[in-house]
Amino acid sequence: MAQLAGRASAHDMDLVALSVGGNRDAFGELVRRHGSGVRALLRRMGADPATADDLAQDAFLAAFEQVAEFRGEGTFAGWVKRIAARLYIRRWRRQARMSLGAEAPDEDMGVGPGEAGANARIDLDEALKGLSQVERLCVSLCYGAGLSHAEAAAALNAPLGTVKSHVKRGLDKLKGALVAEPSLSSQERVYNG
Amino acid sequence: MGDRNFEARLESAFAETPVYGDADIFVLRVNDALERNWLMRRILIGALGVTGGLIGGAQLLRSGLIDHLGAVGGAWRVAGNDLAGLPLSRIFSDLFGGGPSTATEVLWMSGAMAIIALGLFVTRAMREF
Repeated sequence: MAQLAGRASAHDMDLVALSVGGNRDAFGELVRRHGSGVRALLRRMGADPATADDLAQDAFLAAFEQVAEFRGEGTFAGWVKRIAARLYIRRWRRQARMSLGAEAPDEDMGVGPGEAGANARIDLDEALKGLSQVERLCVSLCYGAGLSHAEAAAALNAPLGTVKSHVKRGLDKLKGALVAEPSLSSQERVYNG
Repeated sequence: MGDRNFEARLESAFAETPVYGDADIFVLRVNDALERNWLMRRILIGALGVTGGLIGGAQLLRSGLIDHLGAVGGAWRVAGNDLAGLPLSRIFSDLFGGGPSTATEVLWMSGAMAIIALGLFVTRAMREF
């Protein structure tokens, strides 16, 4: 029990070091800490809940395999999120649901700047639903997974300018939706899977 | 709201982790998958080890090493030598010096591989237990 309590209070990097030695319990603690964050990112990128969970699991399995390569540059959560984001992009491209270059933004789905009232609550998940899928993907990659525009463009195999345009349009739409009342955030809501 | 301010708030909003009702189930699911992967890996390593051992054993038999060892042992008995009383250098000389070169090479290779395998086993055992 003391070992478990110690693990719960251990720093991520300590758990990573134990995981490098093949300690699956330590890695399990990392999954417990960051699993929801990775799942949330994938859902925000546009994956349905079941797909998001499958990909999050795959991302953690890949992270365990490659954990020795994690040198502590950035956070462990950020590192796993980037792995998960790339897995999602790979699946998304394979399914060829849309073409980045050809896609016209879904303007009618968007929430224009100022459209939401000043007192509207911050609800990132709801706000992201107002973006087209490719805008959602680009914004999530850059602000959720921590990729630069260039990295996102490389991951998506799309021109840098195209990605920047999608991010810009996505941000414009989100600005209208994400306003005021920072205390009301998605963190306080309990999801049912 | 300035762009930078908004982008910082957006990053913060992305960094917030929702609380999922099935978070514990997800952790168990990943742990099960890790365990399954590890089990499969052990089975694969074991199967490869057995296959390698069988091939190595077959090579030893085919090399005529057993006959060579028997011949050396017989020669010692005829000469009236007591094995325990012989110097090690003599035993090695008889074993590796007089036989066919292929048998000698196989013996050395087998010994080296056995040492490597033992080292791998020990390091793996130390990590596991």
